[in-house]
Amino acid sequence: MTAFAELFIGGLMSGIVVGLAALAITLVFGIARFPNAATGDAMTAGAYVALSASAVTGSTIIGGLIGALAGAALGVAAYALVFRKLAGRSSVANLLASIGVAFGIRAVVGLNFGYQQQMFQLPLVRPWHVLGIRIQPNDLDLAVVAAITLAAVFIILYATPVGRRMRAVADDPGLAQVSGISPSRVMVALWALAGSVSSIAGVMYGMKTVITPEMGWNMLLPAFAAAILGGIGHPIGAICAGVLLGTLQEMATPFVGFTYKIAISFVVLLIVLLLRPQGLFSHAEGAR
Amino acid sequence: MTLTVEGLTKVYGAVRVVDRVSFTVPTGDIVGLIGPNGAGKSTLFSLVTGFLSANEGLVRLDKKSLDQLSSVERARAGIVRTFQVPREFSHLTVRQNLMAAAPKQSGESLADLFFRPGRIREEEAAISREVDELLDFLRLSHIALTPAGRLSGGQKKLVELGRALMTRAGLILLDEPFAGVNPVLIQEIASRIRDLNATGISFLIIEHDLGALTRLVSTLHVMDRGRLIASGAPAQVLANKQVREAYLGGTS
Amino acid sequence: MEAYLVAVAIIAAIYALLALGLNLQYGLTGLINFGHVGFFCIGAYTAGLMAQYGIPWPLSFLSGAVLAALAAWPLGLVSLKLRDDYFAIVSLGFSEVVRIVVTSEQWLTNGVQGVTGVPKLMRFLGNGLTQPLAVLNLLIAVNILVALAKLRIVRSPFGRMIEAIRDNEEAVKALGKDPAGFKIQVLVLGAAVAGVAGGFYAHYIGYIVPEQFVPLITFYIWMAIIIGGVGRISGAVAGTLILMIIMEGSRFLVDVIPSVSGVKMASIRLGVIGLALVLFTLYRPQGLLGDFTRR
Repeated sequence: MTAFAELFIGGLMSGIVVGLAALAITLVFGIARFPNAATGDAMTAGAYVALSASAVTGSTIIGGLIGALAGAALGVAAYALVFRKLAGRSSVANLLASIGVAFGIRAVVGLNFGYQQQMFQLPLVRPWHVLGIRIQPNDLDLAVVAAITLAAVFIILYATPVGRRMRAVADDPGLAQVSGISPSRVMVALWALAGSVSSIAGVMYGMKTVITPEMGWNMLLPAFAAAILGGIGHPIGAICAGVLLGTLQEMATPFVGFTYKIAISFVVLLIVLLLRPQGLFSHAEGAR
Repeated sequence: MTLTVEGLTKVYGAVRVVDRVSFTVPTGDIVGLIGPNGAGKSTLFSLVTGFLSANEGLVRLDKKSLDQLSSVERARAGIVRTFQVPREFSHLTVRQNLMAAAPKQSGESLADLFFRPGRIREEEAAISREVDELLDFLRLSHIALTPAGRLSGGQKKLVELGRALMTRAGLILLDEPFAGVNPVLIQEIASRIRDLNATGISFLIIEHDLGALTRLVSTLHVMDRGRLIASGAPAQVLANKQVREAYLGGTS
Repeated sequence: MEAYLVAVAIIAAIYALLALGLNLQYGLTGLINFGHVGFFCIGAYTAGLMAQYGIPWPLSFLSGAVLAALAAWPLGLVSLKLRDDYFAIVSLGFSEVVRIVVTSEQWLTNGVQGVTGVPKLMRFLGNGLTQPLAVLNLLIAVNILVALAKLRIVRSPFGRMIEAIRDNEEAVKALGKDPAGFKIQVLVLGAAVAGVAGGFYAHYIGYIVPEQFVPLITFYIWMAIIIGGVGRISGAVAGTLILMIIMEGSRFLVDVIPSVSGVKMASIRLGVIGLALVLFTLYRPQGLLGDFTRR
């Protein structure tokens, strides 16, 4: 029983990571209208920057913040150098370019930081025992960070002018252009937001597991599946679906084995696209 | 092959584009469908052939309901349609357009392509002969090798007609086949339709050229704003007051 | 020196075969297949594993092709229901799942350690240059065969229908012909070609591990056909040659520049492909993905 509960908690943590990554994907998919395959490697980059920064500053928190900022910068750079020029092009063209960006980030990360597994030097804290279940205080910290991140994202999206414009562009880019909303300022904000969310997801993932150049790419499929399950362009949907999928994956591990985790995401992705392409929470267009 | 349409309805928002239309096309008949622009005639074609799904009503071929069949399956069942705005294969030549329409070609299967080249050669030759005859008849021989995208509107209509004829369908739905076609050729096409009809092919024809149509069909249906407002022998239908009003309000 | 050139040529011919398969799929149907390496993997593992049981290579290659084709079929069915970007993601997921399966099913594939000791083809030809040259000639012949097959298809009634589908899918349906069947047949054929390439790869490298079948390979091939000009056979071949120059060039650099290790070189290659993908998407849009218009 306690093993089950602990597995569940592990699943929730994994789900938070997937949820944040899915949020980043759904923001870009909803507003820039293409699936961004560089999300995974943005996660990786964030984790590595945070790692270096925390080693330099001695503080994990500051390291994480710097990682998030680096993510924002990376997102804006990707927009300025690549995606801005692809604005009118098809989704697939953007997708392909984002794969190129993903490879580029991974190459730079590998060359810069090496290929050995690395880990965050987190202080060893004794786990709490609640009702016989072991709870790691670090997990709680991470959950709080995730909550703060989500709160920030929602405040930006729903309570600021730039967020309102983002949502307007998501609903109808043509309309947004006509009514004088400057697309590129909105886009810069979008990419900064998506980039930092990806980085935070990566930092969290790195703190829970290990940091390797491949870590983000491995999260990409679950993140996509969650974004689509939650309904493209629906932030809440993405997070809920991410938590759901992450928990499902972790809890299935004892049954299907650790390597087949990702395959579960693939199956979920297929089922959603074929049966209910608009996802669980959306009423928008389908997959055709 | 009797076509039966019962209570067929298509709704877009508040607009009933096709409103509870019922009629039959008995085997071996040539039936006409007329009405002002926007009456829903082409939409009706799309509903019958499965290109659009109906909100209500059913479509039957003889006794068999077509409702579960896709557009491809309905075409294979023997109902073939042409389009009001021609949908020629623009990068294929006129000849290729017609060749492509011939049914049951082995050459369209990769397996047969590689393992039965002889049979494919024979089939191509036979189809070629048929196409030549048709090109000749439709007066398209001189442009047989022109990419269909470069043709005039009337010529494209003829290509559509030719394709439909190549399919050997039992029921052919023609959507304004005479539009843009020169009058002499219209007469010949009408004559050809009669000949084909004599061999058992049924026709349902949408047209605005009432002169040519009325001489061709045994029954005429009139649609206006989605509804069937008159049906019967051409002379009576055209004398009908409601029909005249609908038309005076519209075109032709 | 000759041995080195022959080795490079063999790898080039294998990649060219992969490119021809992808070119067939994209050129004829416009399908964006980001999972091509999955078919390569299936073919390689089939050939490698069957070789362990002494099954003669023509049979194992055929089996690999058939298995890859069988895997392509449901993927093809899925492709009909999805928008091109969603299918691209699904196909990418497919190849990753293939990799996961060969990694996990250790009883069959020996997992991460892979299948070793795959014998060279036609080893009765001895240890000199004759054997690799014979393999190279065989590969070139297969490449030519596939190229000729594509030409045959294009000029056939099947090819006519493919054109018709590109021009007006609805009109094709109105004639009672299902565009779906045509697209799937092409996808399956392209997959079979990739499967054969996998067979050659297994016997040439001599061992197969899951790491060899990562998505990067798929995008090598996409780069090859993009560089060479999508849809054209000559493009697939030219692109592969250019790709090989980049890849072999980098390998050469590893030997010459002491500070650059193999792993770092792998990163550099990754970066170069990434950069190339971005640059070509930005600056060479003719007939490029998603803008799949008429020629």
